[in-house]
Amino acid sequence: MAGRAGTGPLARWNPFAPLSALARERMLAWMRRRQGLDHLPVTLGRRRLYILPTRAGLAFAALLFMMLLAGLNYANSLALLVTFVLAGFALVVMQQCHRNLLGTEVSAAIAPAVFAGSLGKVQLTLASSAPLARRQLEAALPNGALVVTDVPAHARAQLELPLAAPRRGPVRLERVRLSTAHPFGLFRTWTWLHAPIEMLVYPAPRGSLPMPTESGSRPGSRQIHGKGADEWADLRAFRDGDSPRQVAWKAYARGAPLLVKEYMQGTAELKEFDFAQLAERNVEARLSQLARWVVDAEARGERYGLVLPGVRWPPDRGPEHRHRCLAALARFGLDERL
Amino acid sequence: MSGSERLGSLAWACAALAAGVLLHIDRLPGWASAAVLALIAWRLLTARSGGWFPGIGTRAVLALALVALVLARFHTLNGLAAGTTLLLLMASLKLLETRSARDELVIVGVGLFLLLAACLDRQNLARTPLYGLQAWLCCSALAVVACPDLRARAALTLAGRALLMALPLALLLFLFFPRLPGQFWAIPRKDEAITGLSDTMSPGSIVQLTASFDPAFRAQFLGATPPPAQRYWRGPVLHDFDGYSWRTAAQYGLHDPIHNAGTAYRYRVTLEPNRRRWWFALDTPAQSPDPHVLLTYDYQLLAAEPVTAVVSFGGLSYSRVLAQGSLDPAVQRLDTALPGSANPRTRALARSLRQQAGSDAAFVRAVLDYLRNGGFAYSLTPERLGANSIDDFLFNTREGFCGHYASAFVALMRAAGVPARVVTGYLGGEWNPIGGYFLVRQSDAHAWGEVWLEGRGWTRVDPTAVVAPERLNRGIFDMMPEALSARERLLRGSAWLTNLLQRWDATNAWWTDHVVKFDYSRQMDLLERLGVRAPDTRYLGWAFMLALCVWLALIAWYIGRSERTAGPDALARAYARLCRKLARIATPRVPHQGPLSFAEAVIAQRPDLKDPVQPLLERYAQLRYGPELPGILEEIEQFHRAVAQLRLPVK
Repeated sequence: MAGRAGTGPLARWNPFAPLSALARERMLAWMRRRQGLDHLPVTLGRRRLYILPTRAGLAFAALLFMMLLAGLNYANSLALLVTFVLAGFALVVMQQCHRNLLGTEVSAAIAPAVFAGSLGKVQLTLASSAPLARRQLEAALPNGALVVTDVPAHARAQLELPLAAPRRGPVRLERVRLSTAHPFGLFRTWTWLHAPIEMLVYPAPRGSLPMPTESGSRPGSRQIHGKGADEWADLRAFRDGDSPRQVAWKAYARGAPLLVKEYMQGTAELKEFDFAQLAERNVEARLSQLARWVVDAEARGERYGLVLPGVRWPPDRGPEHRHRCLAALARFGLDERL
Repeated sequence: MSGSERLGSLAWACAALAAGVLLHIDRLPGWASAAVLALIAWRLLTARSGGWFPGIGTRAVLALALVALVLARFHTLNGLAAGTTLLLLMASLKLLETRSARDELVIVGVGLFLLLAACLDRQNLARTPLYGLQAWLCCSALAVVACPDLRARAALTLAGRALLMALPLALLLFLFFPRLPGQFWAIPRKDEAITGLSDTMSPGSIVQLTASFDPAFRAQFLGATPPPAQRYWRGPVLHDFDGYSWRTAAQYGLHDPIHNAGTAYRYRVTLEPNRRRWWFALDTPAQSPDPHVLLTYDYQLLAAEPVTAVVSFGGLSYSRVLAQGSLDPAVQRLDTALPGSANPRTRALARSLRQQAGSDAAFVRAVLDYLRNGGFAYSLTPERLGANSIDDFLFNTREGFCGHYASAFVALMRAAGVPARVVTGYLGGEWNPIGGYFLVRQSDAHAWGEVWLEGRGWTRVDPTAVVAPERLNRGIFDMMPEALSARERLLRGSAWLTNLLQRWDATNAWWTDHVVKFDYSRQMDLLERLGVRAPDTRYLGWAFMLALCVWLALIAWYIGRSERTAGPDALARAYARLCRKLARIATPRVPHQGPLSFAEAVIAQRPDLKDPVQPLLERYAQLRYGPELPGILEEIEQFHRAVAQLRLPVK
């Protein structure tokens, strides 16, 4: 079976790769300077749309050139007419392609926080405020795959661009590429969106140390969650970072979605997770353990606080508190560089 | 990409290829088109069922076998027919490994290439719509390959609209894109059998021609039109006789010093491609119409290259020429030669008639009398002639058509030592009142004789005219309707159809003249007429860029505008328009007036308009203030249309 060009090792080898990478880098920097930072919502205007023929477009041009030569050489009027009609067609296509992206509104670009090791995403909301349906709009992060969507007239569409989150900490996105080759795929018009998008990656909740039951108690003796200690209260949908121990596996086996058991403490215990109390582990492992506790405590509806060197979050609960704690863990020790 | 997702685009690519095959189907060997269509069908079927694909080895063997087959059929891979066949076969092999969008693009590209080949092959008006359809199909296929979930209708609309928008630019480019005055390379074209006069004539050969209704050329007279008896169009002149066939001879550069006499005729001839070197001119041409065309000593117009494309030239001819001197001895020898001792009875007849006649001119008259009174008949289906063909014709079968009579007449002249030669060409032509030209068909092919008479020079003698005088005035099919095919008889039977045919032919002639023949010189003419002195390409380039920009701006505006669908703004616009219309017949709406109270006010003034006005205003209120239901955009569009169609009579 013949391999498709571009997949073999030979086709990948390109002696000019470093040079073209450099040129690309400079071009991107130039565009960044030229366009400035975008503040959403942004309507894509003429000055920031770029357009070039695709490979198919170049092949089409080569075909047209050949047809032109043949028509001229044989003074064949019909061949020339066909050539000119197709050339005009290509120019119309260029305009249509440009028009397909022109005036599209990028209304929002949000990257929800995720735990390290899972797959994050950038949620991009595109809108067509003009009475013009837009088809086959593509969006991609640098080195990411294309995600394609249609935007009907006077409507919006949401795209989810996958983004790997290998390590904890904030991930700042340099740019998002919006492009389209619709219709006919002979041209691709594109633009770069330089919006301040940041995805916060929480430390992966890991570690099996028992949760400290009260402020100041040393972890060591494993406390068994027996009957009476916690009251099983409710089921809720699975969220990233939930402990597998809390998943209602029996319900899952019966065909229900992944659900997590929530427990209610008979008496609302005050817990404080202290970084300093985990002195014997390395920093990342400690952060993971703290994240584990925060997630578990929140899942059970307990009140919990967090103590990091120099900062303290008094006990509380709720999604905002959870995010505050996890964000502090995510940013711990990393420079706030903005 | 999974098979089912790509099935649609694969089918479109296959359709583009198959349509390309259909454009060439009468030029391709049958096995080749059958093979290509079968491969297309098989590929589509396997795409549906996920069947077997041949491996690279099988495909390589297949490719080599197909190349060998093409070589065996054409003996070359160069040239239009062989090249097209090879391209098609290779493209259909490519189908067997077509999996990605890129492969399908290649197939669509082949479809466009086949379109180019078809244009190079034939430029008839009748085929032009087919070429347009093929371009449309290929562009639609391009759209589907780029976006596989596009519906067929949407793809056709998309491509059709883009092509229509491209037309103005295409026209501009067609008129003003610089053309080349000549070729920079030429593909060798095989002399495919095309009907037309050739460099040999045997008694039977012209009959085959007369069966063909194809046009040979069209002629338009610029001044006087010659009478029917003068409409001899001169083609190959034949000197060498081998007892059965006549052939052209080597050319002499010498021209007899002649004096043109009689009426001068100026005309324009548009020659259909015939793959031969002769250009046809009214008898007798006075000058060469083109530097690449030689006016030979025997008044043939012989071009340097065979006519492979339509040629248009202006001619000047005189109805009579008078020789000033005597005949060149070499020509005299050539044109009195009769081979061997064949046709003894013809020789004897010629000698006795020449002795009785006092002069060569009287001898010519005697021979014509002999043909007139000898019981000769005009027939398109004469018996086959024996070894002594002239004897057999003159004394035995006594029936034949122009070729037989010209041949026998010239042989009789030569037997008596009078220099004579056979001239082939066309006689007559059908007057087309719509186009104002004569259409000369292959069926008008004719042969006559020329004799050298002392003091007069070469004189045209048409022995057929003696036997069948009506041939001068009428086409061969008017004389012999039985020679017509049933279809042609039906077509010519009704005046209405004849008129229609003539109209069609006139349109074809216009097409050939203005589109197909629009070349370098025509372009220069056009520019000159527009006031551009040749060839200041700099200004032309700027003008062209300007035109391109204007067109691009128009297209940009049109694309932005035309894709506008109904929206909230459309509703406001439609309402404003409705209010303007109502203001013409009633008190205009005041700003605080809502649609319903405005309706009341209008109806109070014009109760007769309650029916059209009230529902419209109620509908507006509903659309504007009612719930936003799905499908509201369509309703807004309907409202828009209803407002546009509203006619309000002024009292």
